[in-house]
Amino acid sequence: MSALTRNNVAVQGDPDSRPMMFAHGFGCDQNMWRFVWPAFEDDFRIVLLDHVGAGGSDAAAFDPARYSSLRGYADDIVQISRELDLHDIVFVGHSVSAMIGVLAATAEPERFTALVLIGPSPRYIDDGEYVGGFSEEDIEGLLESMDSNYLGWSSAMAPVIMGNDDRPELGEELTNSFCRSDPEIARQFARVTFLSDNRDDLAAVHAPCLVLQCSDDPIAPKAVGRYVAAALPQSRFVQLAATGHCPNLSAPQETIAAIQSFVGA
Amino acid sequence: MTQGDELLQESAEDLFENAPCGYLTCALDGTILRVNRTFAHLTGHDRDALLGRRFRDLLTPAGRIYHETHYVPLLRMQGTVREIALDIVRADGKRVPALVNSVQQCDDADTPRFIRTTVFDATDRRAYERELLRARRREHDIALQLQRSLLSGTLAASAALAAEVVYRPAQAGLEVGGDWYDAFWLDDEQTTVMLVVGDVVGRGIEAAAAMGQLRSAIRALASTGLAPGPLLDALDGFAARHHVGRMTTVALAQLEVATGRLRYACAGHPPPVMLSFRAGPGFLGDGRSVPIDSVAIGGARREGKAQLPAGGTLLLYSDGLVERRGRSLDVGLQQLLDEAARHDGDDLAAMLAGVVRAMDDDHTDDLCLLGARRTG
Repeated sequence: MSALTRNNVAVQGDPDSRPMMFAHGFGCDQNMWRFVWPAFEDDFRIVLLDHVGAGGSDAAAFDPARYSSLRGYADDIVQISRELDLHDIVFVGHSVSAMIGVLAATAEPERFTALVLIGPSPRYIDDGEYVGGFSEEDIEGLLESMDSNYLGWSSAMAPVIMGNDDRPELGEELTNSFCRSDPEIARQFARVTFLSDNRDDLAAVHAPCLVLQCSDDPIAPKAVGRYVAAALPQSRFVQLAATGHCPNLSAPQETIAAIQSFVGA
Repeated sequence: MTQGDELLQESAEDLFENAPCGYLTCALDGTILRVNRTFAHLTGHDRDALLGRRFRDLLTPAGRIYHETHYVPLLRMQGTVREIALDIVRADGKRVPALVNSVQQCDDADTPRFIRTTVFDATDRRAYERELLRARRREHDIALQLQRSLLSGTLAASAALAAEVVYRPAQAGLEVGGDWYDAFWLDDEQTTVMLVVGDVVGRGIEAAAAMGQLRSAIRALASTGLAPGPLLDALDGFAARHHVGRMTTVALAQLEVATGRLRYACAGHPPPVMLSFRAGPGFLGDGRSVPIDSVAIGGARREGKAQLPAGGTLLLYSDGLVERRGRSLDVGLQQLLDEAARHDGDDLAAMLAGVVRAMDDDHTDDLCLLGARRTG
């Protein structure tokens, strides 16, 4: 199957311009870039995608073995760039997709020549001196609650109870319209995301990187952003005034301005 | 003014403070600006202790992650979110299961200004949901146990015949499938063996029970001396009369061990594979007909004949081995031939394990691979 179908890839803007690829984080889909990418469509070829299991991706393409680590997701990114024959890509990754971009850029450095990492974290769990922001118990708590299905959407819950195979409309009515995800896949994505440790991968990235750090981000605290910037060979650290974990939604103008100044647009 | 109107002279303040749900107003960054009495009571916090904190600070660490990665983005994009299940951590450390709804309030220029949130105590509902899930798991366990006990027992084998099976129930999803296998002697002298792999439509306890009935029916019918083709005809009658196992697919192979004479028939089932050192692997493509009790075919089940050479191997399997969503069946069948050829030199158990290891990349369906080899 084409990676473009599998990942619900949408391409906008000038086909002759430098590509800018946007990858969403855990819990969302390409819709989360809707306030950001239009600012770049005049100067870049915009590539949007959904990770397998999210948004309009083909959930049937989910292979538990392939997606048992972030490398599987990074392979998808590389496949998309090959199919579209993209070079000199500005990769913009939010949250876990920041590390997915790091892995893709390490695999194919000639394609990925600039990375924008929004709220990156190479490891969420504290480890000795390293402060990830979460204890192992915190993450186990998240994974357990996702496994036992009580955290989150009632709409994710409802189909499980009702057995939605024969009556999809029961699930349909309840589902929020954005950021749909297959609950089974979301559970494994959460596991892979929050148990990942990509600290050793950072030093291998030779592309210039922009680290966008939010204020008061409970998922990726400032110390983590600083760690990422220090570990990357070529990085610029920018502290945003935006609070929370999703500046692309809560402060799109500030996010756009920071990316523009990085790529010189 | 009617009495009803008079009763309804409630103040806005009272409506807010004593609403039958927690009610709070937050800044866009989640800072709590106002809460009602019901919410303060639900959380066990003083109202003053809540003001200035972030709503997410009242959640468990897991809930905070969910809040930041799902709730906040969705609220920003949709302007509303409904029925999010989250646990509120009370002042005394206890958790209150809650359902949370939020609306982003905008000014005239459509710029979001603040967030209104209602919080419903969902303790009973959550307990009920858990009970439903538990009941489902219980049913699943029973079906799995039933399936296991129906499949227990040893395969027919002798000095002249090796028989092995790999059986893996569906792992994804909650329901047990209806695959089964069997290998039994047709006579006390162990001259002829019947090999069976079948697949009952449906899932769960019902499928497991139907599978048990068909498996027994095939054993009983085979004991009357019916060859594979006529046996399938008789099985059609059994299924229709007793309303069990409609549309089941099954492959039967009757092997005379000393001579290698083979008679086989497939009712809607993928064809057996035969491996002999001389000819390499190939499908036994004759003896094909429709699934059990599907259309009236008037007792004309076809049957194939073949010769299994000494040292040759016969493989029967279920579609869980070769069928994948979004892939042509031919691809899976070819892969089976390739893998079987690759492992042809192995002893039978190792061969089956090797084939399954290479092909078992999807756990949503039962998987069954039965092998028999003439060793005499």
